[in-house]
Amino acid sequence: MTAITKLKGFATAASFATVLMVGGATYAAAEEVVLRMAVPDWPPTRIMKKFFDEQYKPPSGNKVTLDVDFIPWPDFYTRVNASLTSGEQKYNMSVSDSQWLGAFVEGGYFRKVNDIIDADPALKATMAEIHPAFYNAYSTYPYTSSNIYGFPQFPDVLVTYARKDVICNDEEQAAFKAKYNEKLPCTGEELDNMDWGTFQKVGEFFMRKKGDKLAGQVLDDDFYGIAYQAGKGYDFSSMQINGFIWQYGANIWDETKIPDGQAEGVVNSPLAVKALDHYLSLLKYMPPVAKTGTMDIFKSDELFREGKLAMNIDWIGLGEASLDPKTSKVSDKLVFGMTPGLRGADGKLIRWNNLGGQPFVLMTWNTDLQNKEAMDFVKWWLSPAIQNQFAAGGGQSAVKSVYTDPKYVTYRPWNRAWAASLDWQKDVWHVPQFFELLTQQQDQFDLAITGKQDAKTTLDNIAKFQQDLLKNAGLIK
Amino acid sequence: MNSIAAQRPIPALMAPAPDNWKLAAIAGVAVSAVAIAALPAAASFWITGAMVAMVAASFVVNAYRRHYFGGLLVSPAIAVLFVMNIFPLLWSLGLSFFAYQSNQQTIRFIGLGNYQKLLTDNLKAPELWANLTNTAMFVVLTVIAQMVTGFLLALLFAKQFPLRKYLLILVLTPMMLSVVAVGVFFSYYYDPTFGILSYVIKAMTGGEQFILMSNKTGAVAGIVFADAWMWSPFVMLLVLAGLVSVPKYLYEAAAIDRVSAWRKFLTITFPYIRGLLMLALLFRTIEAFKMADLVILLTKGGNGTMTISYHVIRIANEQNKTSEGAALSYLLLFVVIVLTNLYLYLANRRAKGS
Amino acid sequence: MAEGSSIWERLGFRRASGVGEAGWGHAVIAGLISFVYFLPVLIIIITSFKLQTEALAVPPKFLPTSFFGLIPDAYVFTPTLENYTSVFSRSMITGAAAENTGFDRYFFNSIVIASVSVLLALAIGTLAAYGFSRYPLKGNDTYLFVILTTRMLPAIVVIIPVILMFRAAGLSGSYVGIILLYTAFNLPFTIWMMKSFFDELSPDVEDAARLDGSSEAAVFFKVCLPQVVAGLAATFVFGLILTWNEFLFALLLTGVDTRTVPVGMNQAVAGGGIGVLWGLLAAIETLFLIPVFLVTFFLQNHLLRGVTFGTVKR
Repeated sequence: MTAITKLKGFATAASFATVLMVGGATYAAAEEVVLRMAVPDWPPTRIMKKFFDEQYKPPSGNKVTLDVDFIPWPDFYTRVNASLTSGEQKYNMSVSDSQWLGAFVEGGYFRKVNDIIDADPALKATMAEIHPAFYNAYSTYPYTSSNIYGFPQFPDVLVTYARKDVICNDEEQAAFKAKYNEKLPCTGEELDNMDWGTFQKVGEFFMRKKGDKLAGQVLDDDFYGIAYQAGKGYDFSSMQINGFIWQYGANIWDETKIPDGQAEGVVNSPLAVKALDHYLSLLKYMPPVAKTGTMDIFKSDELFREGKLAMNIDWIGLGEASLDPKTSKVSDKLVFGMTPGLRGADGKLIRWNNLGGQPFVLMTWNTDLQNKEAMDFVKWWLSPAIQNQFAAGGGQSAVKSVYTDPKYVTYRPWNRAWAASLDWQKDVWHVPQFFELLTQQQDQFDLAITGKQDAKTTLDNIAKFQQDLLKNAGLIK
Repeated sequence: MNSIAAQRPIPALMAPAPDNWKLAAIAGVAVSAVAIAALPAAASFWITGAMVAMVAASFVVNAYRRHYFGGLLVSPAIAVLFVMNIFPLLWSLGLSFFAYQSNQQTIRFIGLGNYQKLLTDNLKAPELWANLTNTAMFVVLTVIAQMVTGFLLALLFAKQFPLRKYLLILVLTPMMLSVVAVGVFFSYYYDPTFGILSYVIKAMTGGEQFILMSNKTGAVAGIVFADAWMWSPFVMLLVLAGLVSVPKYLYEAAAIDRVSAWRKFLTITFPYIRGLLMLALLFRTIEAFKMADLVILLTKGGNGTMTISYHVIRIANEQNKTSEGAALSYLLLFVVIVLTNLYLYLANRRAKGS
Repeated sequence: MAEGSSIWERLGFRRASGVGEAGWGHAVIAGLISFVYFLPVLIIIITSFKLQTEALAVPPKFLPTSFFGLIPDAYVFTPTLENYTSVFSRSMITGAAAENTGFDRYFFNSIVIASVSVLLALAIGTLAAYGFSRYPLKGNDTYLFVILTTRMLPAIVVIIPVILMFRAAGLSGSYVGIILLYTAFNLPFTIWMMKSFFDELSPDVEDAARLDGSSEAAVFFKVCLPQVVAGLAATFVFGLILTWNEFLFALLLTGVDTRTVPVGMNQAVAGGGIGVLWGLLAAIETLFLIPVFLVTFFLQNHLLRGVTFGTVKR
């Protein structure tokens, strides 16, 4: 290369750079912003990504891309946790289980967004629209404080899945009436009004052997009446037991009462023992896999979809699969209702439950521009039009104007139970010690579920462990 | 010893020469230690990396100048292992002396505090002991099952017979599967409602659906069976490699001398497979100590199947108690090292004795 | 050995001692045992041709055809290839159009990462094993033992330092990073295994070659290496199998572009708001099995060629 061509080369490069810089200055307003987001790989997040790509137009005029890392559910926590705690700062946003908030907020990863919300009255109004149970669980840390971190991505509650062809069958109806002198629930409204006593009778009544008759047909395999998660993994036996404990008027360790709330005496109160005993008494009517301690939410759902169950209590998030004839043998025979409750002295049902679903959050290392774009996206996501579309596509919404809209119940058969369930939702702990509390409790519940330990010992062990742990952490005085 | 005698005098310890690997090593460790202690991770990584390269280079120069072919041949492997394995291990060993949780910003030196807590705390010590006993149980059961099954399978395939090639690959297939698929599918085979096992037993007895995993015996049997099924082919292949290498004429000579089958095995066959058998035993034992995947997939640690390795995953990953997890795994490492040393000692003594 | 021609022997049940020949009788027994051993894999393969609603049927549907009505319908399923197309492209939202699942990329990544890292480990490890075997260092056994200890700890313990290291070096999500890590992951086994193969060789041949004036390199490449081809094949196969199915490092250290199949496989386990997608999982596993299966099959002759040529052991 001669000196001349070299010079020419430089000149070309320089002029090119100048053009770029001038061009850059001219269009400074239209910057490219990438939001990297870690999400579990399932329809609610796939729908969100689809809506974003197809419909979202950033009000700022910037070119915003949502770079979504879809991670299969079983590995989601491991992957997100390792990414956050190693400090690799890879993601700008993430879906998070509500219970993880404490650990990741205290770790300095999740960004408090009060300043952004305060500066934006429209967004503030949107936040006020979110049902308080979900607002508290998904957005606040400490639980029910005024610090805001997250926004509902996919809110979820437990509902009763039931087989119309079995429970509405005339013969079965008559036989049930004859045996228990009460009506076997058949419609959604009757399911809504079902208490644990009836649920248990359904379990007892529909336990059939191969060769027995069910709804007029001879069974080619054993059949069971009821199932309600009993799994050692993750939180698959804490969610339902929490519900029983609250319904009986007992409590789990209450993080809103730090530092005065105790674990010992509360967690293992006589009422709590009674509540746990009640849940355990239902297990004998469930499919045999419950005795192994591995009947998690997926297993009971699978049993239901395979047509081995009359009723199952499970999250709405797993519902799409049972409506799809490709994955469900009972897709055309379904009716949904609220979860059963405990009949109070006044005859009304007490139906406290643990809520499910996930919020999504922002990270502390985002640039201001990323935060701004992320919040614009949040605002768009929580806008009634998009939330309605989301619900119509199989999502759920905790935004009041959306779920009170008469259209809402038409989207999915379980939506008729949605609005009424919301007021009965509470959430488990959000403190950073969540996983330690959960793991020990799951281990203990597993011992009770597999029949190795009675309810009293179980709750005593849990209470003692929690008292020690939380005292050392300074959360109990 | 085949190495050729040194051709140059070895430099004095403090003499800065390109082949003075001892000085390079001392300097390298010192600089790296300071860098790790004082500098942010990114900088200390590259400084440590440069130090490793320097030490490795001086090793190579030294080995080359003195015809230490051993050093020359070994150093690339050592370098890769050091950067990718030994360095992170030392890092976590260091962490085990601190009070550190990966999701908190504070770190505090507590010496042997984590170890002490694990060994004496009235909640943690019994848990550790129970998990250790379970792990030991799994090690003994799975390794015995694998060695016996693998050995018998190898005997079956030691002879030349029609279709041998095609049948052998069928037996080798289980170890090629991913653990996730094996775990998920065995949970299906064992499932009381859908599973094949329950179906067969029910068909034979005409009774109830069979629940394998509802007690400790069943759960352990289920896990051990799946693990042994998956990894026996590994033992088989190693043993087989030894068996087919036994020269035929030795057997012919033995046949002429009318030696009993057992003696034939002991004096002719066994010496050829001993080394490989021991290798299989060693590697399967080490892997068995780390057993967690199948436990997680089949029982989640229920029914008394919790292992140390799963416990470490819970502590270090779910609960982010990095230091405690590290301390726990170094306790485990200690046990494994003692056992493997014992085993290597016995194996060597045997080798010398025979 | 008795010269015999009983009915059994004519049927193929020949007596053979140690390494010898056996006939069809032995093949039948071995065939039965192999079939039973292979059964769990066979069920996975069969499941890959079943629809989700047929996968868990009780009684199990184990045949794709009724053989002209010989088998009752309850045991027969309708074979489908849908699971195989779903591996690469399926609808992620109920009712929506099918989209790419990324598995084409995952398969490519798995093949590149596993083969490169195993070959690299084999090259480096064989050299080291030869060094340890023929030119023992001072404290040889200690080095070997330290190398082994790197495999003794649960991987989760080193994961945080490795993530930090990768980030510092700019290696996270890159092929180079995960390949180097897997190389190190394979080295201990490669070294120990190859050393034991080198140890078995008779030194006489080497000494003879040296006396003929061969260089050290020539002794290694021309005399020793050809004798351990079986060992190389076995080590390669084992390394490949372990790397092929490695999960934890792959989950945490690969990016979207370098992700491997074992990480993607969990899409079919509790993925998509459904428990296990049995047919899909089986199809992924079956496809994923084929490459290692073929490699092992074609290396089988080497695996079984025997360890030693020499007649006198050291």
